Amino acid sequence: MSEPPAVVLNEVKKAFPLGGGRGLEVLDLEHLALPPGSCTVVRGRSGSGKTTLLNLIAGIIAPSAGTIRVADADLFALSQARRDRFRAEHVGYVFQTFNLLSALSAVENVVLAMMFADTVPRRLHHRRAADLLARLGLSERLAHKPAQLSRGEQQRVAIARALANGPPLVLADEPCASLDARTAGEVFAIFLAVCRQDQKTLLLVSHDEAAFGEADRIIDMTELNRTEARRDST
Amino acid sequence: MTILTLAVKYLRGRFVASTLTAVSIALGVSLVVASVLLARGIKEGFIAGATDYNLVVGAKGSATQLVLGVVFRMDLATPNIPYTVYEGLRQDRRVETAVPIGVGDAYRGFRYVATNSAYFSAYPWRRKAFTLAAGRLFADDPAGEPTYEALLGAETARSTGLQIDDRFYEGEEMAEYPLTVVGILRPTHSADDRAIFFSLPSYWGMNEVARGMAVKPLTAVLIRPKQMSDLPSLHREINVAPDTQAVLPSGVLLTIFNMMGVAEDVLKMILAIVGIIVLLYVFVSMYSATMERRREIATMRALGARRASVFGIVLAESAALATLGGVGGIFGGHAVAYLAGALLGSSGLVTNPLRVDVFEPAVLASVIVLGTLAGLLPAALAYRTEVAENLAPLS
Repeated sequence: MSEPPAVVLNEVKKAFPLGGGRGLEVLDLEHLALPPGSCTVVRGRSGSGKTTLLNLIAGIIAPSAGTIRVADADLFALSQARRDRFRAEHVGYVFQTFNLLSALSAVENVVLAMMFADTVPRRLHHRRAADLLARLGLSERLAHKPAQLSRGEQQRVAIARALANGPPLVLADEPCASLDARTAGEVFAIFLAVCRQDQKTLLLVSHDEAAFGEADRIIDMTELNRTEARRDST
Repeated sequence: MTILTLAVKYLRGRFVASTLTAVSIALGVSLVVASVLLARGIKEGFIAGATDYNLVVGAKGSATQLVLGVVFRMDLATPNIPYTVYEGLRQDRRVETAVPIGVGDAYRGFRYVATNSAYFSAYPWRRKAFTLAAGRLFADDPAGEPTYEALLGAETARSTGLQIDDRFYEGEEMAEYPLTVVGILRPTHSADDRAIFFSLPSYWGMNEVARGMAVKPLTAVLIRPKQMSDLPSLHREINVAPDTQAVLPSGVLLTIFNMMGVAEDVLKMILAIVGIIVLLYVFVSMYSATMERRREIATMRALGARRASVFGIVLAESAALATLGGVGGIFGGHAVAYLAGALLGSSGLVTNPLRVDVFEPAVLASVIVLGTLAGLLPAALAYRTEVAENLAPLS
């Protein structure tokens, strides 16, 4: 029997309220399943619902309709607090703009993610964070604050933070979009290598040709998102 | 890393703003602590400096002025009474002890007090004991034969640097009547520490007007009756006389404390307003800090932080600021009270910077609770932070 998908979305719709009882539908997809350990790249124009898709899978925003299952758990059947804990333990999220906490050092930013989960014993937090940063080539930068790091280094810290709790699923929203081409290539290669090594299921929003070349599957939002398809046809 | 350490790191991350907030809390708390300590110090100063005698007899006029001038040496001396009043009281069968007092000018701010050796005598009923640190008491010289011997209070000797056998006078017109130091007293923690004592004949000899008077002048007479039951009759009789009044020092103290009570009530209102301003400052500081880092709060939420966790972080920051400011304020309050004690020591203020009073833990606890409460709304703002909305890439 084959392994169940890491992520399954069925008949998921998302509309944002505009006031006066009206709503702006941004996502309408019939079905999406991500096999465990796969690398999927999502592409599409701005406003096509890519980030909304990631936020739905992360449980950050709730769908207007449909079900989302991650690691076989129905995300929105969980209470808010349990969904937060589930996200901390099962989902790593890499943002386009890194979103590191300015008051914390590189290693503390990684430890921060472990604070909200029970996956790593507290006494091992610092060592695990240091190990992850070393894997990403930042062993000399542990005590540096984000402002003291280059953009490429900042994104590597953000990647280490996303992997800190050993989540089976990693979501990345254009992780290299704010880096120059050379740095983006380096960071992406490290990111992909670490995810592959640890057999993470990776869902990546990107417009980078290099990412397409590494992907097991490329999804075009125009095909996945019926709202986008309808917009295209009009 | 815990929520508390994260809160502390956040505070350190915005060091200047956090420091300013903590300092403003500390200033407010210092004001409260110093005010209470100083008010208490003033009361204790009055109590410690109060006389052991039951009646102060002086010229008609303000009772408060008489006691403040004669006992605490804080006010101008009242008009004189004739020496015969003292002689009459000494011979009164109801009086156990009568001590004449003449309050004169001052040498470098230290008041001249003329009296006799009875002033320094130890009686079973006396709380205050005079002991010599050096030398001897001045001589009880006969009238007309002044010796101009001076006995210095401990603070007078310390501040002026005068030593045994030193001669001194204030003003050129007094150069003919220099006083000679013959003794120095140990501290009594009363106005006597800041006095210069000498005999009544010396007092009259130094004063040109008194020299020519047949009946010598006095400022007051201190009275201890043989029986307390005689006190009311003595009090009444002296007050009925046309030129004298008898004052119960304890009654004047009560009047002074009542007057201080009104001032304390006004002070309490001012302190309450200061407290509200400080709380508002904490609120504004935490509110703006929370608004500034909505993106970071959203990031923490995206990483799995529960709403309660981010609520706790902001509340812990408020509590840490309040604790820091509160503890700093307690120390600051003691420092202010100590400085005020050092500056105003000559007025009889009693302050002990190391003594922690029972009200201080209550002040600290209140500051922590109120400071934490001031962080409630910003914490609620953090709690309600919309994750997706605040994670959107900055344009």
